[in-house]
Amino acid sequence: MKALSKESILGLIALGLIVVMSVLAPGFLSSQNITNMMFQIPEFGLIALGMMVVIVTGGINLSITYTAALAGVAIALMQSNGYPMLLSILVGIVVGLVCGYINGFIVSKIGVSSILVTLGTMVLFEGIVLSLTKGNSISGFSESYSLIGNGYYMGLVPLSIIIFILFAILTGVLLTKSKWGRSVYMVGSNPIATLFSGVNNSKILMGVYMYSALLASIAAIIMTSRYNMAKVDLGSSYLLQSVAAAVLGGTAIEGGYGKVMGTVYAVVIFQVLSSGLNLLEVPRSIVGVITGAILIFVLIINFAKAKFDEKKQKKMQEANAA
Amino acid sequence: MKKFLVTMLSLVLMIGLLTGCVSSNSSSKSGGEDSGKESGKDGKLKIAVVPKLVGIPYFNASEKGAIQAGKDLGVDVIYTGPTEADAAQQVKVIEDLISQKVDVIAVAPNDPAALTPVLKKAKEQGIKVMDWDTPADQSVVELSVHQIDDEAFGRHIAKSLIEKIGSEEGDIAILTGGLSAANLNSWIDGAKKELDENFPKIKLVSDKIATDEKQPVAYQKTLDLIKSNPELKGIMAYSTIAPIGAAQAIQEKGLQDKIAVVGTALPKDSKPFLEDGSLDVGILWEPDKLGYLTVALAKDLADGKKPENGQEVENVGKIEVWEDGKTVIMGPPTDFTAENAGDFNY
Repeated sequence: MKALSKESILGLIALGLIVVMSVLAPGFLSSQNITNMMFQIPEFGLIALGMMVVIVTGGINLSITYTAALAGVAIALMQSNGYPMLLSILVGIVVGLVCGYINGFIVSKIGVSSILVTLGTMVLFEGIVLSLTKGNSISGFSESYSLIGNGYYMGLVPLSIIIFILFAILTGVLLTKSKWGRSVYMVGSNPIATLFSGVNNSKILMGVYMYSALLASIAAIIMTSRYNMAKVDLGSSYLLQSVAAAVLGGTAIEGGYGKVMGTVYAVVIFQVLSSGLNLLEVPRSIVGVITGAILIFVLIINFAKAKFDEKKQKKMQEANAA
Repeated sequence: MKKFLVTMLSLVLMIGLLTGCVSSNSSSKSGGEDSGKESGKDGKLKIAVVPKLVGIPYFNASEKGAIQAGKDLGVDVIYTGPTEADAAQQVKVIEDLISQKVDVIAVAPNDPAALTPVLKKAKEQGIKVMDWDTPADQSVVELSVHQIDDEAFGRHIAKSLIEKIGSEEGDIAILTGGLSAANLNSWIDGAKKELDENFPKIKLVSDKIATDEKQPVAYQKTLDLIKSNPELKGIMAYSTIAPIGAAQAIQEKGLQDKIAVVGTALPKDSKPFLEDGSLDVGILWEPDKLGYLTVALAKDLADGKKPENGQEVENVGKIEVWEDGKTVIMGPPTDFTAENAGDFNY
C-alpha cells in the first residue's frame, strides 16, 4: 500500500479549496480574479521558497524580508538617480547576495545559530534601509521597469508569475538533482554525519543563505516594480507568513525535509483562501483567523500521520524480528 | 557544476526571451474581460472605503460613520483595509476590491506612489477612484476628501493656544509626531504663519521637537523642555499621541495653571487630562463624520454629481470645495474640551 505523499495531499487540499471557492464565491473564476491571484502569488512565493531552503538545513532566515527591502531600495536609488534599468537590477541582486553572504558567513564559518544571526542582520538591514531612506519611500522607476511586476506575457499571463515558476523549477532542480541540493538535505538531517562523510558543511550552508538572498532579491524586483516604490517595510508582512507557508508545505522545521512543490501548494492555498474569502466579503481579520486555523489543522494532521507511520513501522519491524 | 551553469544559462536566455515579448503587451488588458462593470449589480451601488489600516480607534470611528452613511443613503459600503499600515497589503486589498467589481473605491493611502499603478488598473475597469483622509496621487483620483484645510487647522491651533495662555507674549514650544510626516508639517507651518503674522511677541524656544509617535518620548521631551525653559508658557503638540505625553508631564509636575497645552488629540484618550486641565483643549476633526462624508460624496461621484462649494451634506455640514473642483474640505475642526470629551467614543 503506497500512501500519498505529504505534498500530494496538500495539492489535493489546494484543488479542493479551488473547487469549493469556485462554487461558493461569485466571480472566483472570472479572468479578473484569476489574473489578480497570479499577480499576488509571485512575490510571496519567492520569499517562501527562500525561507524553505533555509529551513531545510534546520535554520531560519529572519532577515529575508529586510534583505528584499535593502535590495529593493538599492534598485530604487540607482534608478531614481538615472542609472539604466539592467545595471540597477544587477546592483540590487548583488546587494541582496552580499546580505546573504553576511548571514552565510556568520552561520557557517563562525557557527552562531541562524535564528540569532538573522535576527541581528534583520535589525542591521532595517537600520541601513532606514538611514538610506529616512523612512520615506523611494520611487521614480522607468516605465519599462514597471512591466516586470505589472506586465503581461503575450498579453495573457503576468510576467511575474512566469518568473516565479522559473525560479520554482530552478529551486526544485537544484535541490533534487544537484550535488549541492542533496547535501542541503543531508546537512539538514544530520550535520555531523554529513561532515564525517566528507561534505564541506560550511560551503553548503553558505550556498543556502546566498540562494535564499537571491530569491529575496528577485522578490524585491517584482515588488518594487509592482508597487512603484521601495520602502523600509517593503514586504515585511511576508516574514512570518513565509515561515507558515514553508511549514504548511511540509517542510520539517527541524530540517532535513522539504519540497518545492509543497511550498508552492501552500502558497496557492494561502492565495486561494485570501482571494476567495475576500470575494465572499469576509472581513480581513476573520481571513486571518481562518488561515491560522487551517495552518494549525494541517500541521496537526501531519504530526499525527508521522506518529502513525512510525508506529506502523515499529510494528512491522517487530513482526519481522519475530 | 557544469549542469548548474547550463541551467543558469538557459534561465538567462529564457528571461531574455520573455522580456522581449512583454513590453508591447503591457497595457493591453488581459484577454477575455467579461462584460465590464455591469455585473454584480443588484441595483445598489457598491462603495469601497479603504483605510490605512483596520483596528485602530481612529479608523474604527470613521468606519462607523461610513457604515451609517451606507444605511442612510441606501448603498452597499465595504469598509476593508490592511491589518497593518503596509503599502503592499493595501495594494492587495484594492486588487481584491477590483475583483469584487465595486463601483467606487475611496482610499486613504499608506504610500501614495505605491497605489498609483493599482488605482490606474481600477480606473481601467471603470471604477471611480477617490481618496480620503490622506491624498493619493492627484492625477489618478477624481475626488480628494480632506478632513481639514491644513493651513487653517494650524492657524486655529495656534490661536487656541494663545487664547489658553491668556497673553500675547511668552515662550512656547512645538512637539510633533515625526519630522517627516507631511500632514503634521503642513499644520505646523500654518501655525507658525499665524504666530508670525499676528502674534510677533510669542517666541518659539526651539525648533519643532520630534516625539516618534510615542507617548513616553513625548512625556520625556516635555519634562526636558520644562526644565530647560522655566519661563515656558505653552506647548503645541501635533499627532494624536504627543499631546497625551505632554499633558502627562504637566500633570505630574502640577503645572496645569502655568503651562497651556493644546494638541491634536482624540477625545477618549485625552479626557482624563482635559478634566484636570493638564491638557487645555484637544483639536481634531470627527473621524466618523469624515467616513460619512466620504461615502456620501462617493455616491454622488457614482451618480455623476460633482460636489459644490458650500454644499450642505446631511449629518456632516457645509463642505468647502477648492477651485480645482476635486479637493473637498470637510469643514472647521472640532474642539474637544473637558465638557464635551465624554460625548465621543473614540
